[in-house]
Amino acid sequence: MLKQKRLMMIWLGLQLAFMLLLQEAFALWVSLLFAALLLTRFTTLVYTNTSLSLKAVNVIGAGVALALLFNLKQAGVLNFMLQILLLAAMLRLLALRQLFEARQLVWVHYFLIGCCFILHQNMLVALVITAGLFANIYSHYLLFAPAGSTLKPGNIGRATLIILPLWLAMFLLFPRLPPFWQIPTAKVASTGLSDTLDPGSIEQLVQDDSLAFRVEFENGVPERQLLYWRARLYEDFDGRRWQENSLRTSSNYRNVSQVGSPGATVINYRIIAEASQQRSLFALASPLQTSANVNIAPSGLVLSTKPVSQRLSYQLSSQLQPVTILSEQEQQLNLHIPAGNEQTLAFGRQLKAQHPQVPALVDAIASHFRQQPYFYSLTPPLLGANSVDQFLFDSRTGFCSHYASATALLLRAAGVPARVVGGYQGGDWHPEQGYLAVRQRDAHAWVEYADQGRWQQFDPTAAVAPQRILSSLDDALSAEQRQLLTSPWQRNALLNNLRQQLMHLDYYWSVWVLGFNDDNQRDLWQQLRQNLQRFAYGLALITVLALLVIALLWWQRRERPTQPQAYRLLSKVLSGVLQHKPVEQPLSEFLRALAEQQQNEQRQLLLALAKYYELALFNDDTAALSLLKQQLKKHRNALRRLRFGAQNT
Amino acid sequence: MSAITKTLYPLYWRLLSRYLDKRQPAVPSVTLVQKLIFILPTRYGWWFFGLIVLLYLLGTNYQNNLILLLSYLLLSLFLLSIVLCYQNLSGLTLRSLAPGEGFSEQDIGLTLQLIAADHDDKRHQMLRLQFIGQQHQVVSQHCTSAITLNIFAGKRGKYTLPRIKVSSQYPFGLWQAFSYVALTQHYWVYPAPAQQSPAAGIMPEQDQTTARQQVSDDTLSTYRQGDSIRHLVWKRLARDPATPVVRQQHTPPPQLQSDWVVVPAVSGDALERALRQASRDLLILEQSGASYGLKLPALTIAQAKGPAQLQRCLQALAVC
Repeated sequence: MLKQKRLMMIWLGLQLAFMLLLQEAFALWVSLLFAALLLTRFTTLVYTNTSLSLKAVNVIGAGVALALLFNLKQAGVLNFMLQILLLAAMLRLLALRQLFEARQLVWVHYFLIGCCFILHQNMLVALVITAGLFANIYSHYLLFAPAGSTLKPGNIGRATLIILPLWLAMFLLFPRLPPFWQIPTAKVASTGLSDTLDPGSIEQLVQDDSLAFRVEFENGVPERQLLYWRARLYEDFDGRRWQENSLRTSSNYRNVSQVGSPGATVINYRIIAEASQQRSLFALASPLQTSANVNIAPSGLVLSTKPVSQRLSYQLSSQLQPVTILSEQEQQLNLHIPAGNEQTLAFGRQLKAQHPQVPALVDAIASHFRQQPYFYSLTPPLLGANSVDQFLFDSRTGFCSHYASATALLLRAAGVPARVVGGYQGGDWHPEQGYLAVRQRDAHAWVEYADQGRWQQFDPTAAVAPQRILSSLDDALSAEQRQLLTSPWQRNALLNNLRQQLMHLDYYWSVWVLGFNDDNQRDLWQQLRQNLQRFAYGLALITVLALLVIALLWWQRRERPTQPQAYRLLSKVLSGVLQHKPVEQPLSEFLRALAEQQQNEQRQLLLALAKYYELALFNDDTAALSLLKQQLKKHRNALRRLRFGAQNT
Repeated sequence: MSAITKTLYPLYWRLLSRYLDKRQPAVPSVTLVQKLIFILPTRYGWWFFGLIVLLYLLGTNYQNNLILLLSYLLLSLFLLSIVLCYQNLSGLTLRSLAPGEGFSEQDIGLTLQLIAADHDDKRHQMLRLQFIGQQHQVVSQHCTSAITLNIFAGKRGKYTLPRIKVSSQYPFGLWQAFSYVALTQHYWVYPAPAQQSPAAGIMPEQDQTTARQQVSDDTLSTYRQGDSIRHLVWKRLARDPATPVVRQQHTPPPQLQSDWVVVPAVSGDALERALRQASRDLLILEQSGASYGLKLPALTIAQAKGPAQLQRCLQALAVC
């Protein structure tokens, strides 16, 4: 059985797929090693169709496992586990001889398939993994089937019909346990905004067209100018780079109780965030409530309990109002001015002198950007040490982070606490599917300044390039800069359309399949219970009817025994007498013999019965059968006496 | 541990066979129906179940619906294979055609007839048959009409057939459907023929030389399922493992003077020895083509010849 090349090829293909799918978990040298192992197996299979000796495989295995163990710290526990699993499977395949070894191999493959889903939940990749699963089930079947057997489509179809409802019912109704122990997550590079903001970091991010998150709104989409998705606060400035304060990064703060102020609009929405390997999530303005899987940190930031390693869906309600100032300490933090950028600081102090009121000051900054020749560009010139000075008075060309950074410093110089906020702005609304898709290219940076007890929002980019805020980034950029954002295949309309459709499918996939959770399940049970009460009577009726039908069918089957009806009629009435009949004697003969012993009337009756019986049985005479019935009915008493007499003798 | 199982197993089997005797008393032909088929998970099935639990835990801990879906799919497959496994065995009919016969301390082959439900041979796959308490087992990939199963014969006598274990793990090896089938059939164990027979007056030297000459003339035939491996020609097997060959043994026909085989009225070891002599004498006489008879203390079989006579005489020896 194991000499079948078909089986070996299935397993080789599966392991190759595992190697590619789990690529993220492997360092380069590990991948190369696995590739070498696969190649060895492939060549031995094609040229000699033999297995390596167990000894050689053990030596290889010990060496590689040791190397992986030394690399454990770097790789992380989960990656190490995946590496060891795949290594075990590959070595098993290299030295495969026995049937039980093949069964172990199939078992490990099943587990590896499960592990692939840890790293991949994308619909298309999930399809590929499912194909791998079916290949593995097929190889499992081949191991236990007669040699050379094939699966019949009819059988597969029947099995599918049985499995499908069972499977779905389990998925929808089977209770789910909460996660009850800390599990290792894969060490994979994080995506999205980082905890530092360099002058060029957002420009790099917007060239990434991948999805950041999707949003569903309960009551329609708010206006585009309101869609400022806050993700990170940058409060430490060193003259060139903005950084998150350690206060924010320390993870010891729990869910903060939020009190909404009356009068402000509240919007409810749900966010499905893509895996980013970060804890920071997205929210509009001041979030009030969330679902249990995420926390609201101070200053309206939303954090997940652990790095988001797979798609995460959470519910939010936000008040469209700037977040409140937490403390005096927070304000002091945001007044800190690093050394350098003297020109900017002087300009800030000058503006303050001209506009003592904070709103007027902010307006003045905006009009400065609007009236002076400032340019919005994806490819600003590189800046030196005093980056803000250089930008404000020299190059005058920059992206959102340049403007945000300069504005925050100007405000600080003017004595107004200010900070840079990193997040996303806008998004593509898909009305048919009802969701807003926010991509990495919507990454944005703006400013918050302290005024009237709250952190007021101010976006200097809106002054320079209003289209960026009102429509999209593409409209704010020149044609040649737009080219930078789109790869050649994206310019093909058909491909682009296909990509869109796939994204929509992927959305449904993530809402219905990936996003199905305890709450949905509880709702479903509740609905079932309610409907069950409503349909209880109907259900009971159907059950009773079904039982009746089954009983009827059973009765009909009982009514069709092998004995002819005439025999049954007689044997029912004469059961006591017929006990004395020898097996080999025909019934009619027995009756005649019995008749000889009886009185006149009884004798006539028995002879008549015998005659009718013979006619009914051997001549298929229905008239005789009915006569027989009549006779039996008419002479019931006489026959009972006969029976009684027979029992007494 | 193994000591405990060794002592407990006969007890377990006694209880089980009491239950089975009530459920399925021996009949000439048995069709496997629901009440005769038992299904239990195999060791691999338990491992598979462990895998499902493991995946479920992985899925709940990572809050990963895809892993949960995988675990449920495998669970559905696990459950479905109960039905498939049952269907694979259900409807199969077993029948024993003829009583088995052979000499003690040898394998006795018994031919069983397998009849598929609806005469669809593909309905029953990977069938494993084995007599209870016997080592020899036969795996039949499809439902074949005749299968020879071996019983290792012990003491002489007439025995009823032990129950046959029919089992199958098809299609996924996760469950084993099995049935202990009792057929009304018996087998004869004849006394093993003695090696030498000085009483019958044959010259031993001559016998041995002719025997040696005859070895090369033994007919060789290809191994069939059920043939005793004692008859395998190992040298041939080493040369060509694909087609095993067995030797059909022929002993040379020496001459006996008397045409009556007499067993004296003794008992114990002496009787056994006498019976073995008699067995050998009967075989020699049958080969020589003469008419012969058998005189036992309590029974006399008139002179005749042919296989039927030999069988009659040997059976008389077996139950003497």
